[in-house]
This record gives sequence, C-alpha cells and structure tokens, in this order.
Amino acid sequence: MNAPFVLSHATRLSRRSFIRGAGIALALPALEAMTPLRIRAATPPVPRRMLVIVHNIGIFAKPFFPVASGRGYPLSPYLMALAAHREDLTVFSGLSHPGVTGGHSTDNSFLTSARGAFKASFRNTISLDQYAAEQIGHLTRIPSINLGVNIEKANRSLSWTRDGVLLPAEDDAQAVFARMFGLGDQTSIETSLRQIDRRGSILDALREQSRRFSLPLGPADRQRLDQYFTSIREVEGRLRSLREWERRPRPIAPGAPPAPLEEKRLFFEKFELMLRMAELAFETDSTRLITLMLDAFQTPVFRLEGERNTTEGYHGLSHHGHDEAKVRQLETADRQNLAILASHLDRLAARGEGPDRLLDRTMVLFGSNMGDANVHNNSNLPILLAGGGFRHGQHLAFPRHQNTPLSNLFVSMLQRLEIATDAFGSSTGSLTGLELG
Amino acid sequence: MRSTTVLKSLVLAISVGLLAMSLTTTAEKSAAAPAERSLAALLEVGCGSCHSGESPAGGLDLRTLSDDLASADVRQRWVEIYDRVERREMPPSGVAFPEEKRRALLKRLGAAISAADRADVAANGRGPIRRLNRDEYEQNLRDLLQLPHLDIRDMLPEDRQSHHFNKVSATLDISWVQMSAYLDAAEAALRQARSEGTSPPPVTVQRAVGEQLSVGRETTGGREAMFWVRHDRAIDLAAEKKAAVDKSRVDPTISMALFRSPGWPYGIFPKGIVTRVAGEYRIRFAARARHQFADFTLGPATAPVPMTFRSRRPTNHDIAEDVRSIGGIIDVHPEGSTGPANGVYETTVHLNAGQTIEYGLLGLPAPQPDVMGVTALYRYPPFPAAGQPGIVFDWLELTGPLPPASWPTPSHRVLFDELGPDVKSDQPEVDARRLLRRFIALAAREPVSPEAIAPFEKLVLTALSHGEPLADALLTGYQAFLASDLFLYLPPPRRESDHFAIANRLSHFLLNSRPDAPLLELAGRQRLRDATVLRRETERLIGSREFTRFVEYFTDYWLNVRALRRDDPDIRLFPEYRLDDYLVESLGRETRAFFEAMVRENLPATTLIDADFTFANDRLARHYGLPPLTGSALRKVALPPASPYGGLLTQGAVLKVSANGVNTSPVLRGVWVMDRLLGQPPPPPPPGVPAVEPDIRGARTIREVLGLHTRSASCAACHAKFDPYGLALENFDVLGAWRTRYRGLEEGEVVAGIDQTGHDFRYTLAGPVDASARLADGRPFRDVHDLKRILTANPRLLARNLLHQWTTYATGVPVRFSDRAEIESILDTTAGNGYRVRDLLHGLIRSRIFLGLPGEGGR
Repeated sequence: MNAPFVLSHATRLSRRSFIRGAGIALALPALEAMTPLRIRAATPPVPRRMLVIVHNIGIFAKPFFPVASGRGYPLSPYLMALAAHREDLTVFSGLSHPGVTGGHSTDNSFLTSARGAFKASFRNTISLDQYAAEQIGHLTRIPSINLGVNIEKANRSLSWTRDGVLLPAEDDAQAVFARMFGLGDQTSIETSLRQIDRRGSILDALREQSRRFSLPLGPADRQRLDQYFTSIREVEGRLRSLREWERRPRPIAPGAPPAPLEEKRLFFEKFELMLRMAELAFETDSTRLITLMLDAFQTPVFRLEGERNTTEGYHGLSHHGHDEAKVRQLETADRQNLAILASHLDRLAARGEGPDRLLDRTMVLFGSNMGDANVHNNSNLPILLAGGGFRHGQHLAFPRHQNTPLSNLFVSMLQRLEIATDAFGSSTGSLTGLELG
Repeated sequence: MRSTTVLKSLVLAISVGLLAMSLTTTAEKSAAAPAERSLAALLEVGCGSCHSGESPAGGLDLRTLSDDLASADVRQRWVEIYDRVERREMPPSGVAFPEEKRRALLKRLGAAISAADRADVAANGRGPIRRLNRDEYEQNLRDLLQLPHLDIRDMLPEDRQSHHFNKVSATLDISWVQMSAYLDAAEAALRQARSEGTSPPPVTVQRAVGEQLSVGRETTGGREAMFWVRHDRAIDLAAEKKAAVDKSRVDPTISMALFRSPGWPYGIFPKGIVTRVAGEYRIRFAARARHQFADFTLGPATAPVPMTFRSRRPTNHDIAEDVRSIGGIIDVHPEGSTGPANGVYETTVHLNAGQTIEYGLLGLPAPQPDVMGVTALYRYPPFPAAGQPGIVFDWLELTGPLPPASWPTPSHRVLFDELGPDVKSDQPEVDARRLLRRFIALAAREPVSPEAIAPFEKLVLTALSHGEPLADALLTGYQAFLASDLFLYLPPPRRESDHFAIANRLSHFLLNSRPDAPLLELAGRQRLRDATVLRRETERLIGSREFTRFVEYFTDYWLNVRALRRDDPDIRLFPEYRLDDYLVESLGRETRAFFEAMVRENLPATTLIDADFTFANDRLARHYGLPPLTGSALRKVALPPASPYGGLLTQGAVLKVSANGVNTSPVLRGVWVMDRLLGQPPPPPPPGVPAVEPDIRGARTIREVLGLHTRSASCAACHAKFDPYGLALENFDVLGAWRTRYRGLEEGEVVAGIDQTGHDFRYTLAGPVDASARLADGRPFRDVHDLKRILTANPRLLARNLLHQWTTYATGVPVRFSDRAEIESILDTTAGNGYRVRDLLHGLIRSRIFLGLPGEGGR
C-alpha cells in the first residue's frame, strides 16, 4: 500500500528528488477508503469539477496545433504525447480574449478576460474559478484551491475576487496537503472549533467597529473600507462553512505529507507534484475547483532532462529569436509539460467514481495566455480541454484572424458545472461546436 | 458606466452632507466647460485631421473622445495628450507647429485639466486611506510590542506593486485572504509578546571544541575546502579516530581549517549545538586568518578574512529551508595583528527554536555542481604563491537564550502592565476595562473615541463572562484591534487639525513604522503644521538609526535592489562571478550606503548620475579597480578623476538589476535608466515584437543587432529614446565591471582556465565595446563620461524624479496633474543650492502634497 511516489514522466530521478518523493507514498488503491461516506451522501449525485492549468510562457504553436480540423484530425507532433487520450480531449485554435494584450502581464487576465493588465490603473475582474466558487464552493470543505509553480505570489495569480483583489497562489504542496487532511484527531478538532468560535466573535466586533467614528470619509475611502468590510464578511462566511465541515470527519490522509520541494530549477517535478495534489483533492472531494499557474516567467535556469540544466531561465529561452539551441531546449520542455499532463489524464481516467471515470467528471483545461512568447503575442492561444464528459475527439478551429472569445469556452465550462449562466467576462455566448457527450 | 460613477458619487455625497454635494456638482459643472473648450482647441490647431475618421492615428479619435474631465479615466487620457504635446512628440516631426501655438494650447489644456483635478481633490481628497503593507505591519507590531525580532511578515501575502512601490493606496487591496492572514499574524505576535512561567528560560552554554566544530569529518569540496589541523598541519581525523582507544575523547589540540564557503550540497555547522527555545544568543569563538598551501600546511595570512554565520536547522542538506545570514559580517584577522585580544570574537544573534549556526566564509565560493548538470568534479586553480586565505577555528560557544532586561519581559508589560506572568487579578472586569484602554492607547496611532473602543470592550467582557481567563479574554480583544481598520489603515491628512495623520505619514515615510512617542506628543499638541517643528522632527527621524529602513525599502523598490540576487550571471561568460555572493552582497550595501549619504550629507541630485566618491570594501575595490582596501566594512573612498564610477548610474547593483541579471542588455538598461533615474518611463513595448538579445556566439555586436531598430521607423520612434542610455553603459558588464571587449563563446580570442570554485571555463574575447551614440534630441556622446556630463547638466530633471518617486512612496498616490505646480515650486526653492537631496525631502514634506490641503475631501 505504501508504493513509493514515483514521478512518472521522462525525467530521470536524482537521489535528491527520490528522497523527497519517497516521503509522500501515494497509492491509488488506498484512495477508495479515503472518502467519508457522509460527505458523499451530502453532495448532489454527480459532482462536476474543473482544473485549469496555465503555462504563462506557453508552448510552440506550430508543433501544437493540428493542421486539419474537425473529428479524425491527424494528431500534431505535440499531441502525439496525448494520443492515448485523443477521444478524451478537444484541441482549440483561434481562441483568445478580445482586446487583452500586454505580453506577460496577461496571465493575470487569463481567467477573467479583463483588459489593460499592463497599465498601472488596471483593475481585474472576477476569475472563472471564483465565479464558480460563489455558486458551488460551499459543496466542499475547501471552496477552491489556487496553486502555483515558481509563482511570483504578490503579482501573479489566476484567481481574482469580484473586487479585483488578487488571491495568492499556494506553491507549497505540503500546505495544500495539510488543508485537505489536517491533523484529524478529536482534540485538534475541538481546538479548531474553539478557534473558529473565537475568531467569529472577533469578526463580530470588527463589523461593529468602524472608522466612521473618527474620520471624515470620501467616496474613495468608502470604497477601501467597503473592501475591508467585505473581507470580514467573507472570512465570516468561510468560518461558518469551515465550522460545518470541521464537524464532519476529514478524509484520511493517504500517507505522509509530501516533502518540501522548493528549488526553482525542479520545475517539472513541482508541476507533477501539484497535479498529484489536485488529484488527491478531487478524489477526496475536498474541492471541485482548482487553478494552477506554471510561472515559467519567474523560472530561472531549470533542470531539463536527466541532470542537464537549461542554459538560461525560461523567460530568456522563450525569446529564442529562432536560435537553434534555445528552440531545442524549449521543445524539450514543451514535451515534458505535455507528458506530465498525459500521465495526469492517465490517472484521472484510471480512477473510477460511481459509474464514471473521474476524468469524465473533471474538466482539465490546459493553456496559455501567450500565443507566441517570442513576440509577446496574445492571440491564437494554445488551449485544450480534456474530460468533463464532453463529446471530445476533435480539433475545433476558429478563425485565426478574427478570434472567438476564450470566455465562450468558459461559459460552456460553467454550464458543465451546472451553473446556470450564459455569459462570463467578454463572452458572446457558449462555445459553438462543443457538445456534451 | 460613467453615469453610474457620477450617480454613485452623488449618492455618496448626499449621504455625507448637503455641503459636500453642492461642492461636487459645482466642481463637475465648472470642469466640463473648459474641457469642451480644450477639445475645441485641439481641433482648432488641426489635430483632428489625423486623430479622427475611420482609423484615427494612434487609436485616438477626437470626435469621440469624452470631454468629461470630472471622470478620472477621461482625465488621465487628457493628461497623456497634454504630455505628448508638451514633450514635443505631438504633432509628429514634419508637421509644422509654431512654438507660440504650442504654448497657447498647453496653457488652455493645462488649465482645464488642473481645474478638474483640483475640483476632484477638493471634493474627494488627494487620495484615499491606505492599508499598511506587510513590512509596515510587521514593523508596527515590533515597535508596539517591543519585539525587535518579531518575524511575522511571511505569514502575510506579499503586497502588489504599482508605480514600482508596494505603498500605493489603490493597489493595497484587502480580501478575505489578507484579513485571515492579519488575524493569524496578530495572534502569533501577541503570543510571542507574552511571558509565561515564573522566570525566563534558563541560559545554557553549548561549547564545541576540536572535532566537534563540524558534524562531518570531511566535506564534499575535499581538503581544498576544509581539513582538520594540528600545529598547522593537516591530519587524517578518520584514521586517528579509528586508532584511538577512547573514541569519545575530544582532542582540543585539533582545529578546523575552512577555505571555501560552505553552501549546498554541504554546509558546515558544529556538532550537537542546537537551540531549544527562540531568543537572543551570544556566539563566541576563537579563530584566526591563515593561508593554506599546496601541501595542506598553514602559514601566516596577510589580510583579514570576512565571515558570517547563518541560522539553519541541523538537518540533511537535501531539505531546502530558509537559511539566513545573522550577526553581521565579522572580519577574522591574522594572528597578533589588529584583531581582538586572544583571537576571540563575539556576536549576538537571534535564533529560532531547533536551529544551529552554519559557518559562511565570504568571498571564497563553495564548489557547486556545474550549471549544465555535470556531476561535480572540482579542480581548483593552482594555489596562489602566497597561499589561499581561510579561517582556522579552535572552539566555539553558543550561550543563550540571553535573559531579557526584565521578567516579565517589556513586551509582556505592554499587554498586561504590572499583572505578572500569570496575569492574576482580584477584579478581572475592572482590570480588563483598564488594560484594554491602555493597550489601545499604546497601539493606536491616534486618539480613539470611546464609541470606537466599545465593540472591543464588549468582546473582552463577553469572553470573560464565558469563563475565559483574563489574559485570554484580553488577547482576544487586542487581536481584534490589531486587525481593525483603525490599526490597518493610515488616514491621509485633510483637515487643519489632522496632525496625527501627518505624524503617521511622516513616520511611515522615513521609518516605515508607527510614530514614536515624541512625534505623537507633538501631534497631540497640534504642532506639526508649524514649519520649524516639522523640519526639526524630519531632521530627527533622518538622524535616527531606524532611518536605514527608509534607505533599505526605498532603494529596494525604487531601484529594485531587492532583485539583486534574483538571477545569476551567465557563468559561461562570467566565470569569475560564479557564486561570488560576497561581491553581490557588497554591491547592495554600496548602493544603500551611497543613497544614505545622499540624504544625510544633503548631496546634490546630480549624485544620482555622478560623484567623485563611492563606498567600497576589499572586494569592491578589486571589482572597480580601485587601490586595494582591507576588510569587509564599507568606507567612503575618493575615486580617481578618470574613474567611470561614482553615482548610482554606474554602480554594480544598479547595472545588475537594470539588465536581466544574466547578461547585459542595452535595451533593458536604457528603459530602466529613463524610468527609474530620469523619471521618464517609456511606453510598454507594442504587442508582437520580438526581444533583442545579445549574440553570445560573439559574431555580432549588440550594436549590429540593435541596428534592426533604427531601420524600422516604428521601432525607431521609441528605441531612439532609450537605447542610447543603454549603449552608453555597454562598457559595464553584468555586475558593473569595466570592459572594453565583449565576451562570447565561439568567435574571438580564447580565454580558458579554472575558476575559483573548481570548474573549467572557456570564453572568447570578441569585438570591442563602442559606447557612443546620439540621444533622441540629437546630442552625441562618445562614452559614459560624456553621457554623465549631459545628464548632470539637467539637475532639475533628476530632482523632479526624486520628488515624484517620494510622492508615491510617502503618500500612496503618484503625482497628480494638479500637484505638478507644487512640485515645480519645490524645485524652484531648491534650485539655488543645486537641488540638494535633503532640501528636496524637506520641500516635499512641507508641501500641500504631503500635508494635505486644508479643506480637501469636501471638508
């Protein structure tokens, strides 16, 4: 049962990462026992889930996009890595956020479609995951999880509140693990309940209290204070939900928490570890909404293959200027990323939930805010969607010169989460051609 | 959208009061009329012939441009138009536009925008209340709770930046994430402030002698890095131990000789020394600088060797963790020279529970695996004839936790006054009320009304009535206060009577923390609008030790010095910099010391660009080619007349962060200089443009690569502005060392050898550096000396930039259009004395930008 946690993709493990990996000891068969019955009974019959993975440098367009469109399209060189899941995924071309330009700053708009991220006056709008969390977040212990690899937490995130406040990503797998599985014993539950009550009374006091007693306020001050009081109400809401969840047994941890993995150069190992955390979250129904930003922009020299490192940081490489050595390294990195994604899909497909495969209830969106990082282009984004129970197996091609809003795909995804809406961000409707299976 | 904003402001205005409403509406009315006229003005002079129609130039269509100057977004658009006309970028070259017409147009536009902006300030204030960022929050708690080493910053999410700073009101948002984090951080801080038990934790002395000085008997770096020594000769400790009868016997005649700085994959720390509780600890150790020779014997050293300790857990090195330098840099001297008596050194450090201390030699890099991943094979360069410098340690002692000044601790007294460690009271309710009021008075940075205290009091008394111990009930109330808007937000000064807001703004500007007692006292006596008092207080804060926080945070963000370690130079091209953390550390300290001197010595603004001195130590003297210095301490040194150094512009730290840190890029450096030093940020690159990278094969010079820019008119328009500044800096390599030829990997004369860390290197010396160019206005220059002359000839520009940066940093709001006249008047008053830095600082602090306009915000 304690099969070693082995990173499955091509990278040969060094002694160091083996030591790290051995700590986690995941084993799929053990997971069946991990979902508490009461939680399963409390949820609607078919849970619908979403994972969005964004690589903020992106991948090469040419080997990614298939040449032909429709069903039965010949796989592109990159998609060969996902050949086993051909019928489980749709690849899109000709999608982007209208008017969203500004090179690397657009990663913050990927799930919001807000324009002008490069301006100092930029104010973001609500992100897809937070929009969904408002509707279905209460169904799970954790409304949504926002993950990152090498992410610059202060300034980059996929997750944004309705007020346009950045929700920082978690880049520590251990912390994610702890949020899901906690300590679990009765004493710690009671302590935690006491903590929640104590904090609840603090928040009551804060809600009553206000600067209104001491300061003349203008509209802009009120806007800041509104945000402050909204944050208090939100913490209260979360505490209420936490309190309810704290009384229910937590899922049983599948083993020791993962060992810390902090070195930025282990980009792929970190990517894979975060996907493992996402799988654990879905398998235990700890959350149904996860985002993951691979902050390649902030990734310095990284381990490419075996013990070989890249010659420079990810961002530096992305401005390859068609230099052969750089292009070669980027292609190797692209293939690694897709191989890691493929084994993630393997695992979601291998795992059953009720009559379905976990994959059929989980939408996995993989994409980038960059169409071509070499020239800072933000159109024709590389996007693919796997799982979720759609009728996949096609290349849905939209015009390259007049892109379809990416938010249309988001509307289709929201509908799949059983959220009744026909608009999100800059959408003009749901995405034509993407049908339920 | 616009109508809702107007509506909202109206609704709010009504709720605030009738007076405010009438102000808002009159302001809007009066602003609209000149705007219509200024739109007409633009059309009159013919701007409409390009900026209208199907595809208006630059996407600006004057026929659809809103003239509602009361809207901030619209106003911003008009400010951009104004600036482009003022900078003579519009109309474009080739379009005749007489000077008097331009002046007349600018006057009309400027008056309209200014009037609208002033009306907005009058109605709504210059800027809103501002949340404390996490650095300020931590510093506030450190000062309030008298816990100088409190470490809670990392519990809070990093704050977003805009206009380079993490102090901008509009960007310092709050969500449930921050709110929860503030509650957690406040709780952790209060827990640390409390003394528990009847006496302080016992002081222990842990001592390491001989072989106990290191956990391992050898290191990955081999005997070149570390060996055991007796009477100046290397010994085989493993063999000695094997042969020893009593294996536990510690031989005090053995010393540890260290010649490379330990770092991953090995770190050297003493055996068995680990802290049980967090606190202050004293490290004492006996050591001396020695030289190592090829036969692993030791001989006399000629100069001190700098070292530092680092706090860490005594674990396997595979566990990544926060390893921090502690206790400062210690220069270990050769025997019998200028060092301390008996060669015993001492430093005080703060350690967390479960930590030990690691030895770090500075300037002697550790062997590391190759960047290309090849397993480490170290081939050290031949020993210098005079030997390789290092440090020999005889013994080390860690004593602590050092007892606090009193028990209970001062921080406990902040919480519970005289109630003692167990917080016992005969009249808990009375004490609860008293202590809560006392704490709020200490914590708040302004007087708090009884109504505002009431909810906290209710919270404490309810907890007490539920049977919670007095201490816990009080801490709940304190925690709530430390997460309340009263504590989290800084109010801007607006009314004549807002002296506390001025005190807060001043102390968060110059100390990054709460006002101290004298400043609060002056605020209470309403003395801070007295120019003499304000000046004296400013001088006092600048003179205080805590002023270094301003130097650190301001340069961290303004110059981005905090990114100094973000990227490592490309070691294929710059093998001499491999793992030279001592150099990087010294460069950062140089820039900070220099900036501090600019303020404290009231130097002219031109010292941003040029000066006849810098701050240097042994390593920097070598780096900059100055006469040799000994020791790690920075000192002010005069530069030779022909030196290209002097001024922030040519400091290594600036040259590193202004490029990408890996290699140099004149484009990035040029943009950086304009944006950060000249205060003229160029527009962001257009979408769909590839970046230009140096050709590291060495075949083409960067100038040839950049030639692409000038061949395309659309590229040239912007690149002609900033490329020249970057080109002038081409004589400086990635860390600011002077170079006359580029390095490459393929073409040119081969240079090969073994670097300091034991790795082979091979690079080529390629084409010569040509640092000449022509500024956008046509002025040619040959090199950086020429450029410095050009830039220092315009001190007003440099001074204006400083005022702009400080305005954002100090007030949380960048310079508004209606502030511009005030900025110019500060410049006018400081011009006579050469725009000196502290004069400028005083000028800003006594301005309406800093002190607020009485009547601002509709009051």
